[in-house]
Amino acid sequence: MPQLEQVEFFISQLFWLGVFFVILFSVLTYITLPKIRAFLNKRDDFVRSHISKQDELIKKAESIIENYEAKLTEAKNQASQIINDAKDKALQESETLIKATEEKIQQEIRQTEERVNKEKALAISELNVQLKDSATNFISKVTKIEKGNITI
Amino acid sequence: MAKGESPLKQFEIQPIIDINLFGLDISFTNSALWMTVTTAFILIFFTAPFLKSKKTNSVSDLYPSRMQVAAELGFSFINSLLNDTVGKEGKKYFSLVFTLFMFILFGNLFGMIPYSFTFTSHIIVTLALAMGVFIFVTVLGFVKHGVKFFSFFVIPGLPIYMLPLLIPIEIISYLSRPISLSVRLFANMLAGHTLLKVFAGFVSALGIYGILPLVFIIALTGLEILIAFLQAYVFAILTCLYINDALHLH
Repeated sequence: MPQLEQVEFFISQLFWLGVFFVILFSVLTYITLPKIRAFLNKRDDFVRSHISKQDELIKKAESIIENYEAKLTEAKNQASQIINDAKDKALQESETLIKATEEKIQQEIRQTEERVNKEKALAISELNVQLKDSATNFISKVTKIEKGNITI
Repeated sequence: MAKGESPLKQFEIQPIIDINLFGLDISFTNSALWMTVTTAFILIFFTAPFLKSKKTNSVSDLYPSRMQVAAELGFSFINSLLNDTVGKEGKKYFSLVFTLFMFILFGNLFGMIPYSFTFTSHIIVTLALAMGVFIFVTVLGFVKHGVKFFSFFVIPGLPIYMLPLLIPIEIISYLSRPISLSVRLFANMLAGHTLLKVFAGFVSALGIYGILPLVFIIALTGLEILIAFLQAYVFAILTCLYINDALHLH
């Protein structure tokens, strides 16, 4: 087996192994790996900053939505209140109008009745006067006849 | 492969450039060559996509290119591995685990290229890596806990008369960690590549019926690529667990 027979090359192998391992180790440690690490860190930072920015934006959007919903419910409440007020007012107005109209009608009825009564009384009194007149007339005529002087 | 050639010949080390330093033979071999390829590939693969620094400061800077996504995948894989086993304290050891995993993974994967060389199939290499991990973890344990680190070998809640039996077992199991860690990787690579080579020998030997071992080799190559990943993963996750043990003892 050459691995155990070629003893004369042991030192050479160890020497070159040491040389190349040390070269590889130092170049990787001081040049290559820091470069790779820096590259990866840069990208991680970018991703992380974007994630935090995104969280911020989501929070902002949520607060906007909340605000909007609060305003919407407020507006709805206001609208329903306005509608209720308007309904109440209309109802009240119509009721007073109806009452006033009824009163007016009743008053008019009363007035008419009064006028009718007055006219009735007047007519009766007039009739009485006429009746009295015609009665006296009749009586006087009758008395003239009785005296004998008929002038008819 | 020529007939009669040993399936182990692929593991032979061939010097490419002879170098002698203070009497030590540190020749640049085919093993060192593939370590160079692996190191260069990893560095280019993970560094190049991030070199162009776009400074337009727009969102389009943040879109990763295809190569950046691929590099990121490796990065986050090790990151989650460490996070799951060690937790937040594991971040300090990220580059160590990352280097180990990538070095072994691409060493294994480049070894799958025909006529290439798998340096992780050599016990000396895997043992060196495992010993490195073992020494690092032990030192880390002593730095974090001082002498209290020895309490790691005492399982809490055990009757005292059991301790003389269990403490040696715990110590042996701790000391055998680098061996199991290195032999696991080495043996997997050795066995897989040898098996592939043996069946490749059958292809030419069986003539027209060679189609059968050929199909088998194709399937086995897929399995070997899986094992290449799996062994690197096992090495990395065991390193993470050892680090976790050193940090938290039990």
